[in-house]
Amino acid sequence: MMEKMIFGRYLPLESPIHQLDPRAKLLFTFGFVVVVFLANNVVTYATLAAFTLMLVYLSKINLRFLLSGLRPVIWLIAFTFLLHIFLTREGDVLVKVGFLEIYEGGLRQGVFISLRFLLLILVTSLLTLTTSPISITDGLETLLQPFKKLKLPVHELALMMSISLRFIPTLMDETDKIIKAQAARGADFSSGPIKERVKAVVPLLIPLFVSAFKRAEELAIAMEARGYRGGEGRTKYRLLHWRWKDTVAVCLLLLLAVVLWRLRS
Amino acid sequence: MERNRLITMIEIAIMAGLSVILSYIEFGALWAFGGSISLVMVPIFIMAFRRGWQAGFVTGLLVGIVSLLTGGYVVHPVQLVLDYPLAFAVLGLGGVFVFHKTVTIGRIFGGLLLGTSLRLVCHFLSGVIWFGSYAPEGTPVALYSLVYNLSYLVPEMLITAAVLVFLKKTAPTFYKQSIQANHRSASFNN
Repeated sequence: MMEKMIFGRYLPLESPIHQLDPRAKLLFTFGFVVVVFLANNVVTYATLAAFTLMLVYLSKINLRFLLSGLRPVIWLIAFTFLLHIFLTREGDVLVKVGFLEIYEGGLRQGVFISLRFLLLILVTSLLTLTTSPISITDGLETLLQPFKKLKLPVHELALMMSISLRFIPTLMDETDKIIKAQAARGADFSSGPIKERVKAVVPLLIPLFVSAFKRAEELAIAMEARGYRGGEGRTKYRLLHWRWKDTVAVCLLLLLAVVLWRLRS
Repeated sequence: MERNRLITMIEIAIMAGLSVILSYIEFGALWAFGGSISLVMVPIFIMAFRRGWQAGFVTGLLVGIVSLLTGGYVVHPVQLVLDYPLAFAVLGLGGVFVFHKTVTIGRIFGGLLLGTSLRLVCHFLSGVIWFGSYAPEGTPVALYSLVYNLSYLVPEMLITAAVLVFLKKTAPTFYKQSIQANHRSASFNN
């Protein structure tokens, strides 16, 4: 059961993309998610694809590895592709088999839409593959600063997110240990009727929750003992540095947006 | 910083972490995209029942963001918000039925139904919006989205309900914030 849990996907490599400031990468990725929708013809999709491949190359992450991450969504991409192939009726008929007709427009739309899927997922996975969750949290905290004026507890949220990320490996070990302990006493989580499996899971959850609440109280005491008083005047251990490279990255995205805007039909 | 508030914050963080871990333990078949049946909702509801809907909301928000950062899929800007942070955050609203009240099975079901329905609305809207922008015109997008999301949310809700009822019987203290901690924090403040 636990082998399936490969948590977090960050690959610590040395690449220009890894070295970018998390804020730049976050802005870039959010921007990209919107910009992708500008593409609507062969030239714009080709530009986007080339741009994405360049990013993948720069990140030094194996393209095959990246594509293997697509496995869970491959059926959805195939389903959307087939919907377009059979339902979009534009342009000339390319193939006619019995009552099925494949139109040129359908094929084109199918390829475009699958490509959009692929590019979006590739670029968003690049963010999580090249940036550790904790730097993303730091980045989000600074990017969300303006919302403090709207009484959004940005510091508290970022703190909770860091604690959560910090404790996930610890909690995972604990979960694994309790699963093994219960299995040693004869609990069976993976076979039998669903009702029995749900019942078997309760003795797993109770110790997990008890220890989670205990841990929370202990951590609160530890933090108080070290003088934690909320976000006011708190200094940071990990500082973010915005360099010229980061400005270049964001400008590159703006440039891409302008190019796509000019080339789209 | 008020003690109880700090404990609540840390409980939220740790329970959100547990929730993400539980989301990896799957029951039954793995579905084609995203939604699979797991116990991901259990810690969120416990926080909502224990510390109020705001705490449940924030727990869900964290669960959404953390799962997004550790292996989510983004296919549309609206889907990014609806399918991850918001879908899990709204589960916390189920706390309004239970928090600061005697915990009964009826109230647990009420909270569960409210939270899960709101989650369904989020996933449903997200599906309509993003799949609508992908699928050819004329595809019954709303129907697809409804059927797909119901197909895993209903069993997931039933399993979550069973677990929450079992927990009410065996460990009712989870649904009440520790009186001991309150008492101690009071003496610290004096």
